Amino acid sequence: MKKAKLEPEGMAGEKRAGKTCPACFEVPIGPIHPALKEGIRFTFWVEGERIRAVDIRPGFMHRGIEFMGTKRNLVQLIYLAERICGICSVSHPLALVQAVEQAAGIEVPPRAQYIRVIIGELERIHSHLLWAGVAAHELGFDTLLHYVWKVREPVLDLLEDVTGNRINYAIPIYGGVRRDIPPEKYPKLKDALRYYRSLVDDFVSFFLRDPSIEARTRGVGPLSPEEADSLCAVGPTARASGLRKDLRQDWPYFAYPDLEVKALTPEDMGLEVRGDVYDRIVVRLLEVVQSIELIERCLEEMPEGEITSFPKVAALMAHLKKAEGEGIGRHEAPRGEVIHYIRLEADREAPVVWKVKAPTYSNFMPWFPMFEDQEIADIPIVAASIDPCICCMERVHIVRGDREEVIWKEELLRLSWEKTKRVASRVAPHASLGRKG
Amino acid sequence: MRAQEVLTALQEKLGERLRAPEVRTEAIGHKRTLERELVWAEIDRDDLLEAVRTLRELGPLHISIISGVDAGDRIELIYHFAVGYGTPDGEVMVNFRLSVPKNDPVVPSICAVLPGALTTEREKIEFLGVQFSGIPDARKLFLPDELEVHPWRKDEPKLSDYVRYTVAWEAKKDEKGEAGA
Repeated sequence: MKKAKLEPEGMAGEKRAGKTCPACFEVPIGPIHPALKEGIRFTFWVEGERIRAVDIRPGFMHRGIEFMGTKRNLVQLIYLAERICGICSVSHPLALVQAVEQAAGIEVPPRAQYIRVIIGELERIHSHLLWAGVAAHELGFDTLLHYVWKVREPVLDLLEDVTGNRINYAIPIYGGVRRDIPPEKYPKLKDALRYYRSLVDDFVSFFLRDPSIEARTRGVGPLSPEEADSLCAVGPTARASGLRKDLRQDWPYFAYPDLEVKALTPEDMGLEVRGDVYDRIVVRLLEVVQSIELIERCLEEMPEGEITSFPKVAALMAHLKKAEGEGIGRHEAPRGEVIHYIRLEADREAPVVWKVKAPTYSNFMPWFPMFEDQEIADIPIVAASIDPCICCMERVHIVRGDREEVIWKEELLRLSWEKTKRVASRVAPHASLGRKG
Repeated sequence: MRAQEVLTALQEKLGERLRAPEVRTEAIGHKRTLERELVWAEIDRDDLLEAVRTLRELGPLHISIISGVDAGDRIELIYHFAVGYGTPDGEVMVNFRLSVPKNDPVVPSICAVLPGALTTEREKIEFLGVQFSGIPDARKLFLPDELEVHPWRKDEPKLSDYVRYTVAWEAKKDEKGEAGA
């Protein structure tokens, strides 16, 4: 395990590069991201192929959503919250409704709590599969990307069947959920879960037993447990470093107290925790299985009854208008902790304060130690390994001394793919990479 | 970890300086009901570091976020911490309310105790115009370097100009038949 580099001045990359590596080349990447389709700027200081310091600048897609939220009434706010993230679109409304229910003293019927868990867990399955596909692409395994994204489709179809939408489900509302899952739909849900269960062995052999993937991800982008703890990493990023940190376990909400969720780390697969990219794959695969089990239990144990304590929106609006107080809502999204803080005043439809935190916000600091001493060709997979959600364009700008050249995203990906081929020919000389050139 | 444990530890360290301490509870769960607890308290900025050190000694500490609001002649910050992750039902949320006058909006940085707080402190600098003494990196994070206003401040004379400019610019794009807002 490498030494934890947590001295505060170590975070401003430029300063450290000047101190520790005056001969380093500066390599800015972005605001066009090398790996994901979102805008963020990385500046790397490299010595040969090795990254010695890094600086990261987000903000290119800042939309001022919290400010906009204070100009809308609380029901409109759910729709806005749903659009904070396009992938984990139900995570933000789930945190928001908890915050408002706490502030306004609203009770939620048990059945609604179970339905919220089912939708949240279905979302975790689709988000983790999406990430697995992206990770495969970054490493140069496009066949695997297409396979994973193909098998991701049934869960989206299922979400559409249950909620009416593939992505923005519009399910949570203060006091409950907007649609029931009627017993006629259970067989379809159970079939889909059985289908995903049957794929688990394939996933394990494709991702975890493949010598080339292991060679490209073992020891890459490591994050020690001490770093994960002090830099406040969340979600699978923290759990892959061995921290048993999961809101569903530590701070149960909805129906999670009944389900007694356990935070999963690579140890649960009998592996030693190393906190690298490989471990992050392990944790996400374990969590897909965990989500399947949770949904199955919810379907069995879900009580009958109402799905909302305010069947009429007018009554809800009247209650909210009188509400005064503050509340905190937290949800374990596929990427980690989402928290919403809200403050309401009576006779005011819009919230006075609304603060939102998405998981990548917490996983931003852990990126710094992960990039330290890694190779340029590992940038895409390390960046993708925390499953970042930022917002994108398409080129990379490299400045070497006073010489400037533009490296397009394809070039950076080519570097990553070539490394996989090099590594693969060493560790598995007869395996085919599934792509040419 | 229980809320009372956290509160006792804080009161031992800070005594009267921990103002209006309160434990808010919520019942959750259907078959297995739990009491979920949140600690709320007000503190002065001079006591912040001591309070955070106390929490750090109590158990695994996580900072969720610092939220803030312009409250007239003062700026109110709320530090949302979670103590004791890693054990089932063992996490307690601790919320410290802190208020600083606008003419002297300086708060000690807690990065030396909890380096993971840097992101949220940098965000408060640019959005609320708060300063953190001892922060290792005070550069802008989300907003453009050339932006001089703090968007969450209600007394920013220039802010309305920025909004008007953006609205006019978007409207112009519409007139020209380009892709509008």
